[in-house]
Amino acid sequence: MNDRAPARDGATAQDAYRVLVVDDDPDMAGYLARLLQREGMAVEMAADGESALVRVMTTPPDLVLLDVMMPGMSGFDVCRQLKGDESTALIPIVLVTALEDTESRVRGIEAGADDFLSKPVKREELVARVKTLRRLHDTRKELESRRLAAEVQRKEAIRKAFSRYISPRLADRIADAAGDHGDPFQGRAQRTSLVALFADLRGFTRLTEKTEVGAVVAMLNEYFTVLTEAAYQHDGTIFNMAGDSLLVGFNVPFPQPDAAERAWRTALEMVARFEPVAAGWKRQHGLDLGVGIGVCGGEAIIGNVGSSHYASYTIIGDPVNTAARLMQLAAAGEVLLCGPLYERVRHLIPAEQVKERGDVTLRGKSEPIPVFAVRAAAGVHA
Amino acid sequence: MTAPTLTVTVAKDLADLIPVFFKNRQKELETLRTALSATDFEQLRQLGHRMKGVGNSYGFAKVSELGKRIEDSAKGGDAKSIDTCIGEYAEYLSKVQIVYE
Repeated sequence: MNDRAPARDGATAQDAYRVLVVDDDPDMAGYLARLLQREGMAVEMAADGESALVRVMTTPPDLVLLDVMMPGMSGFDVCRQLKGDESTALIPIVLVTALEDTESRVRGIEAGADDFLSKPVKREELVARVKTLRRLHDTRKELESRRLAAEVQRKEAIRKAFSRYISPRLADRIADAAGDHGDPFQGRAQRTSLVALFADLRGFTRLTEKTEVGAVVAMLNEYFTVLTEAAYQHDGTIFNMAGDSLLVGFNVPFPQPDAAERAWRTALEMVARFEPVAAGWKRQHGLDLGVGIGVCGGEAIIGNVGSSHYASYTIIGDPVNTAARLMQLAAAGEVLLCGPLYERVRHLIPAEQVKERGDVTLRGKSEPIPVFAVRAAAGVHA
Repeated sequence: MTAPTLTVTVAKDLADLIPVFFKNRQKELETLRTALSATDFEQLRQLGHRMKGVGNSYGFAKVSELGKRIEDSAKGGDAKSIDTCIGEYAEYLSKVQIVYE
């Protein structure tokens, strides 16, 4: 066998452009390698088609310089195989053919070659062709990475915009869905089945009367923080925050088949999370406050409500109003549920904690509705 | 043979490849002789084809020229012409001078 020219690696830097030279003639391979190394490229060599394929599969190069006439697998075979495989099809292949060999060029084109070089290989031509392919390759990579960056940026903006209202998990889903279905917060208002949860602070009026303004704001922030965390834990969406009340919706804007259970667990979580906060306030300010919660499910309207100048994405309708009334009736640490909702979550609630309030006529309502009260003390967690 | 054709200018950055290149050409010469005595025209054609490609790439036009003649003669089964080429090849390899630039 012929002696192999020493494979001197001109550029071993990790970011160097990597070329695989495939030629059964070691002098030819050595010559091609040297010219490419002079251009700062990292070169590997393979002496036949089979080992070239293994090389490409294990460490894909940025370009393959492939001799056509080789014993065993020909350059055409190697080219066809690489171009036929999705994972290697994008690697540019330059076929090295004999001079004026039109037949080889036609076969090379059919095999999917990106470019051709004739033997004897002229230095300038080799460098020019490889550089051109490298530029194309770099441009394609650059475009792809820019497209990805833009996509990431767009999703990040959506996530940021929505994370004030909804749980991070929901924000992710919206950002991911935005590309496919458009903004789920846009579009016409629509009727949908949902569960509304209203929570507010029992004794808030006393708080504002007895405590100085700065302290009230800090306390409200603390209170809303724990309630928001509780809502996000169960993927509720916050639709309104006013004074000391908080409106959380479930099954909106994305379907949640277990919306009732999520609402119930959120209510428990709110009471539990607020307990240590309330204890702290009692120590510091001598105040006795607790969360009162109303939950109701049914058909309501979801959409942007307001004028062209000011609109809010919110839920309006009977279950929302009922939840608000129930909240007003709830004592500190108590959760009031409308009848249909109670039926959906009763399996989660120990019977001894439930107090049937009977049919209650709520303010603004003509018909009395069944109401259930649950003392949501710590340890009630389902 | 006039002296100028036996002086070949080779690019400096290929200098360290040249000793191996010539070692391989000497081996090639032996293989050509063996193939000719065995009248293995297919091998002679392949060897000629390789000489044609590699010679000029390094700057040795004569190697490519001889390669083409050997390849063509092998296709035509012309042993006599190949023998002449091998003789020229041997002489060339023994006399060629290299200048690096």
